Amino acid sequence: MSKRRFLSKPDLGPFVLDLIGSGARVIAPVRRLERGRDFIEYRQVRDPNDIVLGGPLPVRPLKEIVFPPTETLFRWRQAKSLIEIEESPTSFEETVIVGATPCDAAALEIVDHVMGWDYKDELWFGRRQATAVLAVACTQCDESCFCTAVGLSPQSTRGADWFLTPSKEGFEIEVLTPKGELLLERHDTRCPEASGSPAARASQVADKVQANLKMQPGKIRSWLERHFEDPLWKDIALRCHGCGACAFSCPACHCFDIMDEPEGMEGGSRRRNWDACQPALFTLHGSGHNPRKDQTARFRQRIMHKFNIYPARFGEVLCSGCGRCIRVCAAGMDLIGILSEIGHRAEEAESAL
Amino acid sequence: MQELRDLARKLFQERKIDALLGYECDRRGVRPAFVKAADECDRLIFDQRCVHNLAAYLSPRRSHVVALGRLAVVIKSCDARAVAGLIRENQLKREDVVLIGVRCGGVVLNPDEPGELESRNTAPRCVGCEQREPALADHIVGEPKTAPAGNQDRDARLSEIESMNLDERLGLWVDLLSRCTRCHACRQVCPMCFCERCVADKTLPAWIESSPHSRGNFAWHLTRALHLAGRCVDCGECERACPAEIPLGLLNRKAARIVSARYGYTVTDDPSKPAPIGTYRLDDGQEFME
Repeated sequence: MSKRRFLSKPDLGPFVLDLIGSGARVIAPVRRLERGRDFIEYRQVRDPNDIVLGGPLPVRPLKEIVFPPTETLFRWRQAKSLIEIEESPTSFEETVIVGATPCDAAALEIVDHVMGWDYKDELWFGRRQATAVLAVACTQCDESCFCTAVGLSPQSTRGADWFLTPSKEGFEIEVLTPKGELLLERHDTRCPEASGSPAARASQVADKVQANLKMQPGKIRSWLERHFEDPLWKDIALRCHGCGACAFSCPACHCFDIMDEPEGMEGGSRRRNWDACQPALFTLHGSGHNPRKDQTARFRQRIMHKFNIYPARFGEVLCSGCGRCIRVCAAGMDLIGILSEIGHRAEEAESAL
Repeated sequence: MQELRDLARKLFQERKIDALLGYECDRRGVRPAFVKAADECDRLIFDQRCVHNLAAYLSPRRSHVVALGRLAVVIKSCDARAVAGLIRENQLKREDVVLIGVRCGGVVLNPDEPGELESRNTAPRCVGCEQREPALADHIVGEPKTAPAGNQDRDARLSEIESMNLDERLGLWVDLLSRCTRCHACRQVCPMCFCERCVADKTLPAWIESSPHSRGNFAWHLTRALHLAGRCVDCGECERACPAEIPLGLLNRKAARIVSARYGYTVTDDPSKPAPIGTYRLDDGQEFME
């Protein structure tokens, strides 16, 4: 029962200004120049002209809007034996993402599983509730994209409240959720009913992405379940430097650490910060023992969590195929190559039966 | 290329090495290669995309690399400075590693960059580099190369920042470092960041807050820059590895400028030349104590 609307190109700027005028924080892909190269990142925008829709994938994922790299859980103040606790608010300012990529939007829903599983993460869902996601179809890809291999596509509407498909004159809008309906009600005049038949969705991008990787997540999982101790892990992990670039660039990685930080003599704050499974510190026990003693064990964990453990618990892989882990890796760790290799071995194992 | 492969094969056949660290092509460009037998040597390549500083893998804290046994490693002349640093600081014995020097005429910024080396895409650190081959190497391979072209002034931005007032400089770094999420890619790829337990990982007490807020990020990046003063080999790997595209090399090059002005020392590929950070001299300046 999704509604079809239209936003013309000249109306995009005024629409964004309307959003800002209504008190919403608008986050969108913008261009940044560094080291002689320019790239896209999600930033808060005040000038709609800064927005770049349909450009390359932002270098960092959308997750930091919903799950900041560091946030305060509560503050404490102490005077002798009297301790006061000040909880962090769990309601947040209204935020509209204009131009999320389909892989970033979908990843939010993928992570919802774990955030609402054994406890309901108030901070995650508080921000999720306050955030409307207007995703836009991908019109370009590169050799690291593989969303089609994990059941998504450059036109996947998953996780979006509105889905924008670019056309010559502007954007065709699909309104997909009650939150999206509410947003439309407030900006009804800017977005008239779309006329004619639905805009054709380019399939060339999807074809290109498909050529990067074809895999069957079920077969990958079945191989992983049977090959915890496989020489392959040692070979793959050799070049890994053990940093957190892949996890911190991943729209689906969500591990965190909790730290108490004193602020002066009278108080401090308890914070939660992003954490990643590749550095040795992640599993280092207070005793000095480390159950994941080397990079082989740590890299295996990364693959296992995404493609075996998460599907076992929540029914889908912890990956939206954005390929950022591949692009950012200084050592050339290539998830597409690794998944192809595992897929190949899974096929071989199957035919040997 | 054939010369490199033949030499590698010979080293395996003569049982001089158990494994070799070099470069190979992958789906997207070039990546580090770990070759473990004579019949794998045809994977090896060397060209302008071989930007990685493989000396990072020689650190004794890489237990899974140490487990490979006796290593040979392919080095450019800039990488030799890092190998020299590891030897100088007692992390590596010169006789424990076979160094295969490759003649180099400069590299590009990123290993997935297609096309030939031009002044447009040459890594800034290569411009002005006068060493075509590493003096520290046991073997030298490759065609003779000419010095990389290009005339970028890589220190223009450094000078520009030096000319800012304090507020402007602070504003710039607050903005740049706000993007840091503390993935520590800068540290992990750095051949000179070999501490057994990094100060940033210590929790009792936590000298450096692990939170990626301004306080934590400033403490981390400035501490790292100070610890690398006179040790940073200027390989640019921290900048290349940074997923937030923070120009971290600026901090290291500023520190190098100070070390050079104060101690007349520039990082060298001669492991016998002591570095200021590990040296005490009676005539060291002490004006800060007055």
